[in-house]
Amino acid sequence: MSTVAGLISGGADIGRTRLFWIGFAVIVLLFLLYPTQTSAFRVSNASFYLLNVPLGLGMALLWGYCGVLSFGHVAYFGIAGYIYGIIAGNMSGNSFGPLAGVAGGLLATGFVAGVFGYFVFYARVQKWIIPILTLVLTLLLETFLGQTAGYQWRVGSVLLGGYNGMTGIPWFQLGGFVFEGYSFYYLVLAVVLACYFGLRMLVNSSFGHVIVAIREDELRTELLGYDIRARQWVVFVLSAVLAGLSGLLYVQWGNYITPSQVGLLQAALPVIWTAVGGTTSLLAVVISTFALNWVTFTLSSQGNQYAMVIIGALLVVTMLFFPRGIVVMLAERLGRLMTRRAAPSQP
Amino acid sequence: MVMDPAVAIETQSLNKRFGGVVAAENVNFKVLSGEFRCMIGPNGAGKSTLFAMLCGIESADNGQIFVLGHDVTRMQAFERVKLGVGLTFQTNRAFHGLSVHENLTIPQAAAKLENKEAGQARLEFALDAFELDPNDETKAAELFHNQLQWLEIAMVLTGYPSLILLDEPTAGMASEETLKTAMVLKHLNSTGLTTVVVEHDMAFVKDVAQTVTVLHQGQIFAEGSVADITAHDDVRRVYLGRA
Repeated sequence: MSTVAGLISGGADIGRTRLFWIGFAVIVLLFLLYPTQTSAFRVSNASFYLLNVPLGLGMALLWGYCGVLSFGHVAYFGIAGYIYGIIAGNMSGNSFGPLAGVAGGLLATGFVAGVFGYFVFYARVQKWIIPILTLVLTLLLETFLGQTAGYQWRVGSVLLGGYNGMTGIPWFQLGGFVFEGYSFYYLVLAVVLACYFGLRMLVNSSFGHVIVAIREDELRTELLGYDIRARQWVVFVLSAVLAGLSGLLYVQWGNYITPSQVGLLQAALPVIWTAVGGTTSLLAVVISTFALNWVTFTLSSQGNQYAMVIIGALLVVTMLFFPRGIVVMLAERLGRLMTRRAAPSQP
Repeated sequence: MVMDPAVAIETQSLNKRFGGVVAAENVNFKVLSGEFRCMIGPNGAGKSTLFAMLCGIESADNGQIFVLGHDVTRMQAFERVKLGVGLTFQTNRAFHGLSVHENLTIPQAAAKLENKEAGQARLEFALDAFELDPNDETKAAELFHNQLQWLEIAMVLTGYPSLILLDEPTAGMASEETLKTAMVLKHLNSTGLTTVVVEHDMAFVKDVAQTVTVLHQGQIFAEGSVADITAHDDVRRVYLGRA
């Protein structure tokens, strides 16, 4: 099970059959061909739906696989976005500026999550307190960023902008090649696939087995000889960096970021995506994150004031009637149906 | 203090209170390497608390704990396990949501590799005797009670321990299952695995124990061979229920 193929096809996520992988390849192909069949506007929207997937995957890893619920992962989304804006904005005209912004954004995210996570996990803070602490962190960040209006709140030449946010954030570029429009879509798609396969390998590794064991029973796992604090910390930082990755892609997509991106409403979204998809499956969360972002974006862009009410209602319905997640439930039913069809008929 | 290598466990003046309840009072407990020790006592006598302090689940209010040659008084639980300590709980805590295979895979990465040769032989003996298939994909939640108890023992053995602490390993088992458990534990002990068991079933205790420690109200009340303990008037009065 230690080969790459073995780790990818392990049982820690839905979809192990040959038929599944054929279907998966077809869907990836459709995503690859999508820009050739539609307008630039729709491709840009699809980029937005996809760029949130790393944030959802990070939540699935932390909450679904490791059993730690964070209600403030958008803080890391915001930190990465703002740091990217500051670095890339100050290096405007330098083709390495965006790359430095990416590195700076991810390092800052990892650092903040590392320090915060260290105090949370090494102090053995009880699990039910962690969502509150993480929510407090992101609300503090929102409050701080909200009062940064004015010329005095600038870093180098970049204004933080208060509730108006930071604008004019540069596109991502490698050397002289700027990722915008179609190329940005493909960049996001590549990042999403890399994150998905990377995490799928992780959850099927011995490390992945141990984090699931921690979710199942922390004390039993510790009494098998594992320092559960260290593993929870690693997963927390990794999931925060994934949230940061989404933050980077977000500011590169929209060229702006506002404090509302780290506010209460946004903080709830990754939790909803993960719960609706199914906490115990990475693929389910990829699907639900994409689909719910499409629903929210479509409703909002049509002037529907109730987009978030509908998403919230979906969460309530999921929790009441599909506690294992809608996508996971559908996948299980499909799996049972396929098994019945494949089984020899009774005489 | 340098500990005698022939001693697997030694506690010195161990005390633990939960509010007004005395769970351990001046406990000086010693188990020799390779010994099979049983601990008995009425409910609330402090047996599980002593196990919890030995493993690091609970910290002692004061006193010292030495395990396998190390002062573990301030060590984290996982660090004690890495020294070669294995523990099963009074209430079964195999990972019920995971398969038998996964339950037996998870402890491997933390196994004490210095004990691999002897540990692997013990594990294979136990798996064979308990009829557990390490590749079984059945969810642990679907196993019978005795199989779950055996699975948890096998999980502990997967870590190749030098010392195992088993808290009521035969609770809820039928007599044949208890006999099988006793047979396996006696064999494991005969290979040098120090074994300490909390147990209420006196037939099991008489079958397996070399030495018996009786705890009562957080204190060591009596200690000796099975014959000594069963003949002890005060033990009969406070625990065995005979005048």
